[in-house]
Amino acid sequence: MFDIFLEFINTLIYAPDEGMVHPGLPAAWVAFVFLAMFLVGVRYAFLYRQNNSERALFKFPFLTTLTKPFITNPWLLVFLRLFASVVFLTVIYAGLFGTAIPEKNIATVLTWTIWWSGVVISIFFVGSAWCAICPWDAIATWLVRQRLWKKARETSSLNLRVPKILRSVWPALLMFVGLTWLELGVGVTVSPYATALMALFMVIAATVSLAVYEKKAFCRYFCAVGRTIGAYSSIAPIALAPVNEKTCADCTTLECYHGNDEVEPCPTNLVMGRLTQNTYCTSCGACSMSCPHENVAWRIRGVGDEITTASRNTALRGRVDEAWFLLGLVSLTIFHGITMMPYWEGSIQKLAYNIGDSGQLLTSFSIGMILSMAIPIVLFSVAIKLTQQLMQTKAEYNRLFSAFALSTLPLAFSYHIAHNLTHLVRESAGFWDVVANPFGKDALPLGMHELHMRHMNPLIADDVIFAVQALLVLFGFWLALKIARQRFHQITSDSRSLAFTPILIFISIISLVDLWLLMQPMIMRM
Amino acid sequence: MIFRNSLSITLLCGIFLFNDVFAHHVLGRPAYSLGEDSNTPPSMQIETQIGEYYVTYMAFPAFPKPNQRGRVNLYASRIDNGNTFNGDVIFKVKDDSWFSSKEEVLGTQKIDNGVFRQGFIFTEAGSYIITAEFESDGEPYIIDFPLQIGESDSIGPLGITVAILIFVIVGVNITQRRRLQRIKAQQHHSDSSGDNNV
Repeated sequence: MFDIFLEFINTLIYAPDEGMVHPGLPAAWVAFVFLAMFLVGVRYAFLYRQNNSERALFKFPFLTTLTKPFITNPWLLVFLRLFASVVFLTVIYAGLFGTAIPEKNIATVLTWTIWWSGVVISIFFVGSAWCAICPWDAIATWLVRQRLWKKARETSSLNLRVPKILRSVWPALLMFVGLTWLELGVGVTVSPYATALMALFMVIAATVSLAVYEKKAFCRYFCAVGRTIGAYSSIAPIALAPVNEKTCADCTTLECYHGNDEVEPCPTNLVMGRLTQNTYCTSCGACSMSCPHENVAWRIRGVGDEITTASRNTALRGRVDEAWFLLGLVSLTIFHGITMMPYWEGSIQKLAYNIGDSGQLLTSFSIGMILSMAIPIVLFSVAIKLTQQLMQTKAEYNRLFSAFALSTLPLAFSYHIAHNLTHLVRESAGFWDVVANPFGKDALPLGMHELHMRHMNPLIADDVIFAVQALLVLFGFWLALKIARQRFHQITSDSRSLAFTPILIFISIISLVDLWLLMQPMIMRM
Repeated sequence: MIFRNSLSITLLCGIFLFNDVFAHHVLGRPAYSLGEDSNTPPSMQIETQIGEYYVTYMAFPAFPKPNQRGRVNLYASRIDNGNTFNGDVIFKVKDDSWFSSKEEVLGTQKIDNGVFRQGFIFTEAGSYIITAEFESDGEPYIIDFPLQIGESDSIGPLGITVAILIFVIVGVNITQRRRLQRIKAQQHHSDSSGDNNV
């Protein structure tokens, strides 16, 4: 019986006749995840009991001591930002003036194989720490404020309020869609020159935003990278939080929000004592440096606790733009996976032939991208509509849409990590050669032998990669259901209602699509 | 087909002046590779499709220098049945700059062993566009490919970035100084008129 099941799974794997591809999840792992998903699904569909646990922050004095300098010592942060900026400027220089061979230029290797793959994985361990040393924000800050870390002069920025229409994460979502189009459609990931141009664009955008708008509007509203990190970091088991919540509750001066004579106010308008979600925290350390009570520290919490222990008010107050951003993450991560399937290019070529598209086939690519993005969004919208219809207590559609959108976040995060893991461990071989010759002077493209060796020797053993990927899909499914169940319970008291079924089906479909994508061989990027 | 009278594509710029892009597997973008035995210099290759044809363009060497002999190879086969195009292909060249319209014919080539070969020698470094033209079933096909001779001049994007940053920072500083001075002057004015009232 099990053999027949494995055989069936194997029929779902498309192995190309030619070309070098990374292996997908073996059928045995797929079967394990499938069965485990079934059990988890049954638990959350029929055996669920609401547990009204409160957000718990664990005290690890060792962690607090270890991380304290990173959020209280401005010069240490300046040093890290300087280091990140020097690397970033090297990437720009290498992209503009180095070799055009992507696997031999540090611009493409560091940006796409190491940084972008690694930063998504790092969120699970260090939350939004990347934003604290983000080089385009650091360079923009130094240029506009003309200070290494202290409070800026009044003349450095126009300090205008961001127009109401832009005070949402719609700009970040648009930027994310645009960057994905450039990355996968135009092929920025395999072009050092285009990678450098993209980096320059980020510097210009961050600088203009900082010079025109108050605080750090770019980080809060516009930056696709920052908002993605922010969204994912709400699942992370680590975050900046008050050491003693009573100290914050009794505080009347709110230096964390207003800043003090030396330290800037919170760049994203957060008050530490009232922080219920860390999505907009950039880990910049302004609150910890200005707090007179030294009451801000990195704290450990349960994975996903920020969402699952949210109060009813917080859960039902979700914003539509944030919900769309999360759905955008789900659909774009799936789209990334689809474009790296061996049959993607053939499908786009067929479409291009039929519609008369030529050259880089960008029209055909754009149609494929829109369709791939639309399907999960339409499915989610239908699931919410059905939930609304089946609920005994009628709830507003937008409210349900926003409340349940958060349940899609673990699906995007877990698949994103699993997908990026392949890039990181299978394509980063040769990184140190590139560090030794960052501009690729006189470098030659990889020969077939080198390509083959890279292909055969990932940084981590295949079995470990498969195990991590399988567990990630399972983790995403479990957390998504947990969040959806909790939200459902907060919206309706009828916990055994059929109304939960559409959401359960939606989460199952997305998880199975993620699993199916991970089963498929993936084309090597470089 | 959408292009009834003329099928033409430009594989040059993508979005922002791509003259040295690369891909292993992405259609329509240059890729660099070594020969099977790795003893030949690397070549630059672009695969694309236009109208009824798959077209592959290869440049040898991948990074030609001024006064260095080079060659482009063009392969064209029908998408529907895989048959190789066997008419004439005209190769032309022009400067890849905004203000240049000068174009020269490199030569007209017949198929040789399934390939159209065109040699070249450029005396000056720069970014050029090689255009391959042919006609099939009464429809003209025009395909532009990039060719970089010598080092590319990438100072442009840096210069533009620095100019934008200076313009924004200086502009904001001046605007904000004037605004603050105006506010101070207004405060001073209202303070002194308040004193007069007293």
